[in-house]
Amino acid sequence: MQELMTELKQKIVAALNLQEVKPADIKDDEPLFGAGLGLDSIDALELVVMLERDYRIVIKEQTVARAAFASVRSLAAFVVEQHKK
Amino acid sequence: MTSRRIVVTGRGIIGACGTGAAAVWDSVRHGADGLRPLSLFSSTRYAGMPVGEVTENVDRLAGKVRGSRSDKLAWIAAREAVESAGLTGVSAGRIGVVLGATVGGMLGSEKFVRDSLRHEHARYGVLRFHECAASADLIAQQLGVTGPVLTFSTACSGSALAISAAGELIANGETDVVLAGGCDSLCRLTLNGFGSLLLLDPQGCRPFDAGRAGISLGEGAAVLVLEAEETARARGATVLAELTGWGASCDAYHATAPQPDGAGAFAAMVQALARAGVSPSEIGYVSAHGTGTRDNDLMEGRALRQLLGDTVPPVSSMKRLFGHTLGASGAINAAVCVLALEHQALPPSPGFGEPDPEIGIAPVRECRASALRHVLSNSFGFGGNNVALVFSTPETSVVGPASRLPSVDRRQPERLPCNGKLAIVGVGVVGPACGEFGAEKELSAARRRRLSRLQQMTLVAAKRCLPAQFDAGRTCVAIGTGLGSLNEATAFVENMILKDEVEPQPQQFTNSVHNALAAQVAIEFGLKGLNSTPTCHEISFEAALWHAAQELRAGTATLALAGAADELNRYAVAAHERWQLPGRTGEGAVVVALAATPTMEKPLGYLKSVWLGRYTGNIEAEAQWMAEALAGAELDVLVTDERGAVVAETLGRLTGRTIPVELYKQSCGEHYAASAFGFAAALRLLGKNERAAVYTVGVNGVKGLCVVER
Repeated sequence: MQELMTELKQKIVAALNLQEVKPADIKDDEPLFGAGLGLDSIDALELVVMLERDYRIVIKEQTVARAAFASVRSLAAFVVEQHKK
Repeated sequence: MTSRRIVVTGRGIIGACGTGAAAVWDSVRHGADGLRPLSLFSSTRYAGMPVGEVTENVDRLAGKVRGSRSDKLAWIAAREAVESAGLTGVSAGRIGVVLGATVGGMLGSEKFVRDSLRHEHARYGVLRFHECAASADLIAQQLGVTGPVLTFSTACSGSALAISAAGELIANGETDVVLAGGCDSLCRLTLNGFGSLLLLDPQGCRPFDAGRAGISLGEGAAVLVLEAEETARARGATVLAELTGWGASCDAYHATAPQPDGAGAFAAMVQALARAGVSPSEIGYVSAHGTGTRDNDLMEGRALRQLLGDTVPPVSSMKRLFGHTLGASGAINAAVCVLALEHQALPPSPGFGEPDPEIGIAPVRECRASALRHVLSNSFGFGGNNVALVFSTPETSVVGPASRLPSVDRRQPERLPCNGKLAIVGVGVVGPACGEFGAEKELSAARRRRLSRLQQMTLVAAKRCLPAQFDAGRTCVAIGTGLGSLNEATAFVENMILKDEVEPQPQQFTNSVHNALAAQVAIEFGLKGLNSTPTCHEISFEAALWHAAQELRAGTATLALAGAADELNRYAVAAHERWQLPGRTGEGAVVVALAATPTMEKPLGYLKSVWLGRYTGNIEAEAQWMAEALAGAELDVLVTDERGAVVAETLGRLTGRTIPVELYKQSCGEHYAASAFGFAAALRLLGKNERAAVYTVGVNGVKGLCVVER
């Protein structure tokens, strides 16, 4: 899980072109959107594409995306759960 | 200035639910479901997706005209509108065409990109119809009209904005008749784009329903014949409705998402009602934007309840009948409003089943008769571009000898005066060499992260022209662009083709809309006034200047930013070379700040007037046009190119007074924002001259003249 979270942080920084953020700066339980990193709905959609490209997980509904992207920890849990299916 | 009343004397409409007003009304009345599985083109990812596709043969319906699918849809609607209005006996120079469009010829351009990527023979001819402005050009050419021909591309509110701009043109006596509306065809870019935003409802859109899950895309066109009341009366036309009000605002909130509390939508509706002189309780029906997304319908419900209280009048959305037709949707809504007034009946809202308690609005379920006097039509677009229109039943006094309002001075043909000088209080220039333009210094890294290069160029230019103090709530923005964010659009399309529709690029899609430039300026500085994006070939800047000046004169804005921006794109450069167009290509952004009352002791100059029209090719007639526009005022210098210099020389010969000419394109290159550089040059020349003008003639027959004074 920790390994996956570290990997996801690197991918988030790369996918969203967060030049002033280092992967290690992102806290596991920090909200990704709104406060915290200050990302918005379009960033969320870029992460949807990243999940499709790198993890073969296809998200078709915004509500699913909103729940999954609450934090890096919830995102990691979502990836693990999807891969069990 | 006396404001003239504007009547609707004709309408034409085509969409998934029917061709022609009679067929469409029949579908509307029955609340028909216009959505069908996509068949216009193949799609790996969205095969079978319900869309509002025009299944009739568009090529056949349009007859022998050349253009994109979008252009043909526009022509079909315009032709019907002109026929239904029986439009004869009006001088060609007093008729204009004003449309809203979003995708233009993208469906054909996608094929061009695909063929290019596969190294197959790509036909350049299709790129002639790429631009959104091509649809209005086609209508103007077919009808031979030579008044102002303008196109606005503010995403999903574009054609509502076009109708409001047409209203301004007629109300102020700048022209007598305008064919106003909008068009858009389905294409892969928008299908994959909205797909990448997770905004497509696989079940088909369900506006205002508790279970709604997004939009369904559609295509179509609608055109209204708008006319000065006196013109309609003089030719004995049947009046179908009256355009009584319009209002526009910008959320200045987000590139795509609407402001959740609906404050921007509310502001636009309030303006429209105020202009119409109608109180909220007098509104008998609302044709909602009602796209079916979670956010839009919730926001719109809030705004409507804020405006109309707990007794919201009957509401319906047309999106299940037509799909979301983007650039055409505002005009389709408007045409349905006119039909509702004609038939005195409330259109139902198909796709709605379960009310959403959060929205608190239950749309009309069954068509029923209603004594309608005033109706409201809403359109909201990406970038928080909100437009509301009010249509009313015609006064019985409209057709006949008695009129409530005195008639105003008849102006000469083909002229667009912009009376009352406006102070130019700032100018910001990025270019002509845009290698390093200071974005790193003037915009934070966090801000730049998501902005395209063209957006950054525009923002830096806007920042350089903005006065130290201004009322953000009453500042409007009009940024013209010929090709818009074509680099983002082509990047999205190339990626879509190469990856066969997987791994889309949502950021590129949201940045690809033309009005992302003006919207980002509004977001950066919190500017909540009208937000306009004209796209009119070489006179995109002049059209922006006209719109900005219009808002200042109307008193709805105290400060206006007007500008233009365009950048190099490899497909556009290749087409320029292939067609051997004059000059070398260029790019850049210029924004000027205008104020009704100067905000500085010594303004850079004053804007005297802006004139827009069609270039006839007859040099003597063009010289005459310029002489009339100048109205006897002596010009110290004309900033133009070689084509314009010929007209100036002829004018000099006719008047016996040589007009010095300043050629400016050697420094900025040929591009659709070039005349904005000419305008900046004219301002510099005011140091030594009393009066200067910028004269622009475009390849596609557009022309513009702006006069500035010291």
